[in-house]
Order: sequence, then structure tokens, then C-alpha cells
Amino acid sequence: MEDIIKGIGLLLEFQNILLILSGVLIGVLVGALPGLSSPMAIALLIPFTISLDPVAAIAMMAALYCAGTFGGSITAILINAPGAPPAVATALDGYPMAKNGEPGRALGLAAVSSVFGGIFSLIIFIFAAPLLAKLALEFGPAEYFGLAVFALSMLASMSGKSSLRNLISGLVGVLIGTIGIHLTTGVERFTFDIPDLEEGIHFVPVLIGLFAVSELFKQSEKLNAVVERIQAKALRLPTLFELKKLKYTILRSSGIGTFIGILPAEGSTVAAIIGYNEARRWSKDKDNFGKGSPEGIVGPEAANNAAAGGAMVPTLALGIPGSGSTALILAALIMHGFRPGPYLISETPEFVYAIFGAMLIANLGFLFIGLVGAKFFSLVAFIPKKLLWPAVFIFSMIGSYSFASSMFDVWVMLAAGLAGYFMDRHGFSAAPLVMGLILGKLVEESFSQSMIIHDNNFFALLESPVVLLFFVLTFLSLSSPFWTRYFSKK
Amino acid sequence: MKNNKNAPKSLGALFNKSDTIIAILLALIIGFLWFETTKFEKVPDLFSNNIPPEMFPQILLIIILGMVLIIPFEHIFLKKNGKDIDSSRINSVEFSTIGTMFILSAIIASSQVLGAALTIIAVSISLPIYWGERRLKVLISYVIGFPLFVIVLFNIILGVHFEPGLLELIKN
Repeated sequence: MEDIIKGIGLLLEFQNILLILSGVLIGVLVGALPGLSSPMAIALLIPFTISLDPVAAIAMMAALYCAGTFGGSITAILINAPGAPPAVATALDGYPMAKNGEPGRALGLAAVSSVFGGIFSLIIFIFAAPLLAKLALEFGPAEYFGLAVFALSMLASMSGKSSLRNLISGLVGVLIGTIGIHLTTGVERFTFDIPDLEEGIHFVPVLIGLFAVSELFKQSEKLNAVVERIQAKALRLPTLFELKKLKYTILRSSGIGTFIGILPAEGSTVAAIIGYNEARRWSKDKDNFGKGSPEGIVGPEAANNAAAGGAMVPTLALGIPGSGSTALILAALIMHGFRPGPYLISETPEFVYAIFGAMLIANLGFLFIGLVGAKFFSLVAFIPKKLLWPAVFIFSMIGSYSFASSMFDVWVMLAAGLAGYFMDRHGFSAAPLVMGLILGKLVEESFSQSMIIHDNNFFALLESPVVLLFFVLTFLSLSSPFWTRYFSKK
Repeated sequence: MKNNKNAPKSLGALFNKSDTIIAILLALIIGFLWFETTKFEKVPDLFSNNIPPEMFPQILLIIILGMVLIIPFEHIFLKKNGKDIDSSRINSVEFSTIGTMFILSAIIASSQVLGAALTIIAVSISLPIYWGERRLKVLISYVIGFPLFVIVLFNIILGVHFEPGLLELIKN
């Protein structure tokens, strides 16, 4: 209890509250702008928050992350163009409801279910994260290696066209993490006699390149796309009667979203799609789905926001990112000198509770912002792309450069942007690469330490039941495309 | 023998052309990187605890190569799941995208000479014009207003160091 009060105390400074509310505002804005996403905004924000107090910096990013998930639903409902991937399922019923003349109602349902999903997952977070961290404190290098391998295997099921390509992307990320001086021996690896590579590749320019610059190249293909907008004067909150009718859908989706968020590598998009499918499966009015069903809006919205809170559990408790955005928050934590994982919770619990508080404020903040600013946010999608994307590129350049005052990083950003663009064309997602890059150090360190402890006998690792469990889960995760098809046929 | 509808009609249909090229390219890169790992400085076993610096990258390269070899045939499995790997690459890369890549590379290459402020102005002018923005009033206010906003925010308020570049020469 004392830690919770301390954590809240950390947040209550005027500057921190201001930064959290700015995070909410930026989050809703980037969420509402098709093409811009919360991972991209977090990547751009990291270099500018390095000089801030860690609590303020991470709280701002956590708030942006929560609000960005909701922001995507505004354009999904009003222009049938999800501002962010987690809002894809919301568009299926949100847009038809808006077209039927009830845009305010659709936005209200989305906002309230998002807030409920977000708060539900935060309650789970506050109980689950310390428990998981307590369990993880017993982990040795072998168990951590098993956990990291399991997390990498989960990349296969991240959203994207191909599990195989997701895995390749993830492993390429781990490989990129080996560039630079090897910590154990001091040997230079893959530096090609370039002094800038001795320290390894910095996270920030790679993240900015993969999320912002590659998207700029994609957007340059569709500069003249015309969208039809539905006018929304204000957001209309659902009535108590309506909420009573929808309570089971919201509760179910919140549970699904939190659970999926907690799974390493599974993000809000997967949660939203499952949330939508389950809402449809349990609905008494299945025929109304796709025509503006309220359940079709609250199902995915509660799930995708609950996943945002859920994803923070493995990120903070284990140091294993729960999604693309939390991978970026993890990178920011590392840059602020923290060691994400069980020690973070056991040694600085007040810091974790401060993040929890920031996310709580963010959830209430975007409801308020949504209530007063729905009309404005529906207009931001109409900022001309020809002016918006040069601005994004300028922020990307400054962000990459300012991190280490190095032009080399700007080139890395451009290279990552080009790589991200071509990867996407050929079905390789950027998010697994980022997660691999961030997990890389943990994988190699824990692998080396376990090998030293077990005298280079790999099979001795399996003597630990926890490692064995993680390897079984890895096998199940990698073979899931085969057994899910088998069971679905049955 | 049962007639399987999903069976490829010829040997050529087993391979996806684009994916085969990608797999060959990736295999070549993996080969090159493997060769690089053989050039890592040798460390005595005692010092490296029997975990030489090339061991982990080599394990990764082998696993990646194993996966890369499946890529040319992956389209068959994906099709069975209703996914079309070629949908995002049916059209060749647009000329406007290649032009954008070229312009941005050129601007970054010249940024050390130009300095930060002129680089920002160069991006603000070149990209909108290249992408077809022709409204003069909009362009002028953007080209003046946005760089000014960026310089005030980052250089003056946040204290990010901006290289003066050409501007210093003009000043002198």
C-alpha cells in the first residue's frame, strides 16, 4: 500500500500530469491519423524524453500507448479508415452505425468500452505483475533463456501474413543485436571496421526508421486517396440501459483482451479481432453484425484497450514485451538505465505503480478528450498528407540525430526505413524485428550463462522443469498452425 | 490416385518467383555473414568460457537459413489458409516512391553541408512540391511556418544542437 501511495505521489507533480495529458492528446491525435500509429509516436518520442525524469518519460509513453489505441477507432468509425491496426474490427460495425446516422453513439460506445477494458486490464496488471515478478525472481539464466525462446516463438503468431516470415524477422532482429563489441570477450562482431558500429546499432534510429520512415514510403503511394467523412458533432455516451445490455460482451472482451495482451508478442490487433469474433459468436442478434451492431463495436474496443494494459504485465514483470508498442517502452526503460524484469518491481515498486497510475489517468483522459474533441479529431484525418509526412520525416531526422548527435544514426534510420518498406512488400513485419532486437541481448546473455553453468551441455538445460515447460510451450506455439487447422476441421 | 485440387500443376508452380529471388538473396547475405563470423578475432577457450564470440551468431544464421529455404514454397501453405503473399507486391514500386527515396537520401547526404535549418527547409519545400502540392499560399506558409516551429521547439526550447552548416559560412 505504501508503494502505491509513493507511486501516486511521483505522478502528482504538475509537470508529470501535464506530460501524461500531452501523451493522451498526442496518442488520440496519432491514433486518429491514418498511417500514424502509437508505436511510431513512441519511437519518435524516445529521444526527446531521454533528458526527462524516468517516471515522467515512461508515464507519458504509457499514456500515449493507451490513448493511441482508442484514437484509431475515431477514424475507423467516421471514415472507415482505422487510424491504427487495432481498430480494424471496430470499423466493421462502427462505420455502418455512423452511416446510419448515429456517429456520436458509435463513438460513445467505443469510448466507454475502451475505458472499461483499459481499467479492467489495469486491475489485473496491478495484481498479476507483482505475482509474475515474484515467480520470475526464482529464474536463473536457463529459465530466462527458455522464456526468451518462448517469447520469440510467439512472434510467429503476431499479426501479419506469414508466421515463418515473422520468425525470420524476429531472428534477424536478434542478429542485429549482436553487432558491436561482444560483452564477454571484447571481440568486435560485424563492425566492418566502422567505428560507429563498435557500440552496436542504436535502438532509436532503427525504431524510427521501421515505424515512421517506412510508413512515409508507403504513404507516398497513396497521396491522392479520397475519403468520405461522416459528420460527428459530439460523442454520445451510452445509456445505463444500453450498458446493461452490453455488460457481458464488454466483460468478456476485457478478459480476452487482458489475457491476449499478457501473452508475449500478442498485441491489441489480435485481441480486437478475437473480441469481435467472440462478441458475434455469443450474440443473440448475429444478423445485425456488419450493419452497425453495438456489440460489434464494444467487443473489439474493450478487447484492444484491455490488451494494452495486459501487455504491460510481461513487459514490466519479465522484461519480455507484450506487443510492438511495449517493446518500444521496454527500449525506453533500458535507455533510462532500468533493467526491466522482476528486479524492477521488487526494487522500485513505486515506479511500476506510477506507470499504472499514468495509464489510469490516460484511460479517463481520453474519455474526456473524446467527449469534448470528437469533432476536432474527426477533422485531423484531413490534414493533407503532402504536408503531414514531410513533417514526420523532419521529426524522424531530428529524433535520430539528437539521440547521440550522430549523422550515422540518421543513415541507419533511412536504411531501416528502406528495409522496412521492402520487408512489408514481401510479407515480413517490422514489429517482430523490433522485438527480436530488444530481446536479443537477453537471449544471448542467458544462453551464454546457461551454457557456462551447464558445461556446454545443452540437454542439461532440460533438467529444469521451468525450462522444459517453456520449450513445450515453444513447440506448441510453433506447431499451432498445424494443430489449430486440425481441430478446426474437426 | 486421388486428384488433389491444391497440388501444384508443374514443378515451376512449386516455387514462387519473387520469393525464390528473396530466398537466394537472403541465402547470399547469410553466406557472407557466416564468412564474416570466421574472421572474428580468436579468443582462448579459457577466456571465452568455451562460448566463442562467433558461436551465437552462427547458431542464429543456421536457423535463419533453414527458414529461408522454406520461403520459395511457403505460398502453397499460405494459399491453403486463404492468404495471398503476392497481394502487396502485385504492382511494382511506384515511381513517386522511388523518387521520394532518392530525394530523402540526397537531402540526408547533403545535410552536413547544409546544416540543420537548411535541411529542414529543404525537406519542407522538396517533398510537398514533388508530391504535387501546388497551392502557393499553403506552400509558402508551410515552408516558413513549419521550419520556424521546429527550430524554436527543438533548438531553442529543448536545446537540441543544430549544426549551422552553410548558414555559418554566410554569416562569416
